[in-house]
Amino acid sequence: MTYLSFIRAEVLVLWRRKQNIFNALLFFLMVVVLFPLGVNPSAEFLAPAADGIVWCAMLLAVLMATESMFKEDYIDGSLEQLIISGLSLPLLLLLKTTAQWLVVFLPLLFMMPLLAEMLYLPDGCFWVLMATLVIGSPSLFLIGAIGAALTVSLKQGAILVMLLILPFYLPVIIFATSAVRAAQLGLPYLGLLAILLAIFLLSLVIAPCMAAIVIKASTN
Amino acid sequence: MQSSSFLTISDLWIERGGRDLCISLSFDVQSGDVLRILGENGMGKSSLLKVIAGMLSPLEGYIFYEGQEVTEKRQTLQENTLYLGHSAGVKKALSVEENLRWYCPTSSSDELHSALNTLGLLAFSDSFVSTLSAGQTKRVALSRLWLSKQKLWLLDEPFASLDTEGVNILEKRIAQHTASGGAVVLTTHQDLLSIQSRDICLPI
Amino acid sequence: MNWAWFHKLGAPKWFFHYSKPWALPLFIVGCVSLVVGLIWGLAFAPADYQQGNSFRIIYIHVPVAMLAQSCYLALGVSGLVFLIWQMKIAPIFIKAVAPIGAVMALMALVSGAIWGKPTWGTWWVWDARLTSVLVLFLLYMGIIALQNSLTDLLLANKAVAVLSVVGLLNLPIIKYSVEWWNTLHQGATFTLTEKPAMPMEMWFPLLFSTIGLYCLVAGLALWRMQTEILAREHRSHWVKEEVMKHGL
Repeated sequence: MTYLSFIRAEVLVLWRRKQNIFNALLFFLMVVVLFPLGVNPSAEFLAPAADGIVWCAMLLAVLMATESMFKEDYIDGSLEQLIISGLSLPLLLLLKTTAQWLVVFLPLLFMMPLLAEMLYLPDGCFWVLMATLVIGSPSLFLIGAIGAALTVSLKQGAILVMLLILPFYLPVIIFATSAVRAAQLGLPYLGLLAILLAIFLLSLVIAPCMAAIVIKASTN
Repeated sequence: MQSSSFLTISDLWIERGGRDLCISLSFDVQSGDVLRILGENGMGKSSLLKVIAGMLSPLEGYIFYEGQEVTEKRQTLQENTLYLGHSAGVKKALSVEENLRWYCPTSSSDELHSALNTLGLLAFSDSFVSTLSAGQTKRVALSRLWLSKQKLWLLDEPFASLDTEGVNILEKRIAQHTASGGAVVLTTHQDLLSIQSRDICLPI
Repeated sequence: MNWAWFHKLGAPKWFFHYSKPWALPLFIVGCVSLVVGLIWGLAFAPADYQQGNSFRIIYIHVPVAMLAQSCYLALGVSGLVFLIWQMKIAPIFIKAVAPIGAVMALMALVSGAIWGKPTWGTWWVWDARLTSVLVLFLLYMGIIALQNSLTDLLLANKAVAVLSVVGLLNLPIIKYSVEWWNTLHQGATFTLTEKPAMPMEMWFPLLFSTIGLYCLVAGLALWRMQTEILAREHRSHWVKEEVMKHGL
C-alpha cells in the first residue's frame, strides 16, 4: 500500500457510495427548510437569521456525514491493515478526512447561492458567508473524525457522536456567524476569519493524532 | 547470531483483559521457516500475531527484526510484513482488481492476472467483492500473497473458509515463499499437509 | 530526580493502600467546613445592600462552579497523563470524577437560576457564565455517555482519555467564544458572578464553603476511585486479601 493507492481506493469507495453523499446534502437542505416552515417564513425573521440557519444545518449535516466514516473499514478489516501498513496512521486518517471534505463540502458550496436566495440573506453577506464556510468547515470534518473514531466500534453511534462533538463545534459557529453579522454592519470581520483559521490549524494538528490513537485502541 | 535470524522474539509478556496470555515467550524465526502457533481458542494465538504486527503492545519484551530492535518503532518491520487477520481487509465497495491495486500498486497487470488465475478468480476480477462468497472473498485477501514483495508473513487462520483445493494452493504458495527466503508465522487448527513446520503451543 | 514514586503512584494497588486512610477524614473535614461556611453565609453574614438576601446563594453557587471547572481541568490533565505515561490510575480517576463534576455543573446551573430569579425576574439568562457552565455540563455528560457506551475496558480508557484531552484543549476556546458571543448580544456586562469587593464578614464564609466543598469532593473522589479499583482488579490476590480482612 502507498499513500497514493490509498487515496485512489478511498475516492473510489466514496464514488461508489454516492448515495451517502446525496443523503448528507439532502439532510442539509431539509434542516434549512425546517426553519421557515417551523418558525416564520417572512424576511424579517429569515434575513438576520440566515447565516445562523445555514451554519446550524452545516453542523448537523457534517456530523451525519462523518459519523460513520470509519465504520465500514472497521467491519471489513481494512482499518487493521491501515494500522500495520507501515505508513503513518495520522497521515492516512488526514487524507481520508480530506477526501470526505472535498466530496461532501464542494457540492454544498454549489447549493449556497440558491439557499442564500431562499433565506433572504442580506446583500453583501454572501461572500463573507462563503469564506466562513470554506475556512470553518475543515475544522468540522476534522473534529468529526475524532468523534467517528471514538464510536467506530459501536453499532449505533450516531447520536452519541452528536452529543460528544457538538460542544466542540460551538466556537466555530459563534465566530462564523459573528463574522457574517459584522460584515453586514460594516464592521471589521477579518479578525474573526483569522480565529476560524486558527481553529482549523489547531484541529489539523490535533485531530489526526487523536483519531489515530483511538483507532489503534479500537481494532483489538 | 542475531544477524542471520529474521525475527527474534525475546521475553514477551502479553496481557489481555486481565489475563496473561504468555509470559517470557522467546523464539526466533529464520528465513525459510514456517512457524505454526497452536493452542486452544482464546489462548492468545491471534494476540501474539497482532503484537508482532504492531497492533497491540506487549507489557514487556523485545522484538528484533534483522538485528534491529523494533519494539517501539515498528515501521521497518511493518514495511516488510504482510499480515492477514480474521477479517479479510477487503473493501466490499470495490472490485477484486481494484482491491488488489490498492494493496499492491506496483504489481503489473500480468502479475495480477496470473495471481487471480491461480486462485480461480480471473473471471471475477471486475466483480464487486460484495457479490462474492465468503470463500471467494478470502481468496481475494490471499491473492496478496502472490503479489507482494514482503518477506515476513503473519497469517491468522489462513485456511479458514477455504475448500481442499484452496488449501492445496495456499500450502504450495507458502512452500514457494519460504524456499525463496521468506518466513511465515501462522496460526491454524489444521495440520499442514505438505509443509514442515516448527510448532509453538500457547500458553507458555 | 527519581521518578519512581511518580510511576508508583500510578499502580492501583499502591494508590489504594496509600489513599485509604485519607478518604474519610477528607470527607468529614469537608462536610464540617462546608456546613460552617453555609450556615455562616446563609444565616449570619450581613445582607448585601444591592441584592438583599438573594445574594446568599453565592455561598453555594461559587464553590460548585469553581469545582465544576477544576474537576474538568483535573479530568483533562488525567487524560493527558494516561496518553503519555499510561498510568493505570488515570482512567480510574476520570471515571470516578466525571459524574461528580457533572453534578457540580448541574448544581451551578440550578443555583445560578435561583440567583437569577429574584435579581432579574427570569429563571434563565443567556449570560457568558451560565452558558459556559451549561456547555461544561454537556461536556461532562459526553464523557459519561462515552464511558458507559464502550464495553471494552482498554478501549474505554483510551477513548475517554482522548475525549477529555480534546475537551481540555477546547475549553479555553469555548469559554472565549461564549464570552465574545455574550458581549455581542448583551452589551451590558453585569455577570451573574461579578464579585464586588466584599468585606471580610462576607468572603470568609465563602472561603469556608469553597475549601469545604473541595475537601468533600476529594473525599468522595477517593472513595469512588477505591471502589473502582476493587472492581477492576477483582481477580488479583491483594484484592481478595483486602476484602477478606476489612470487608467491602
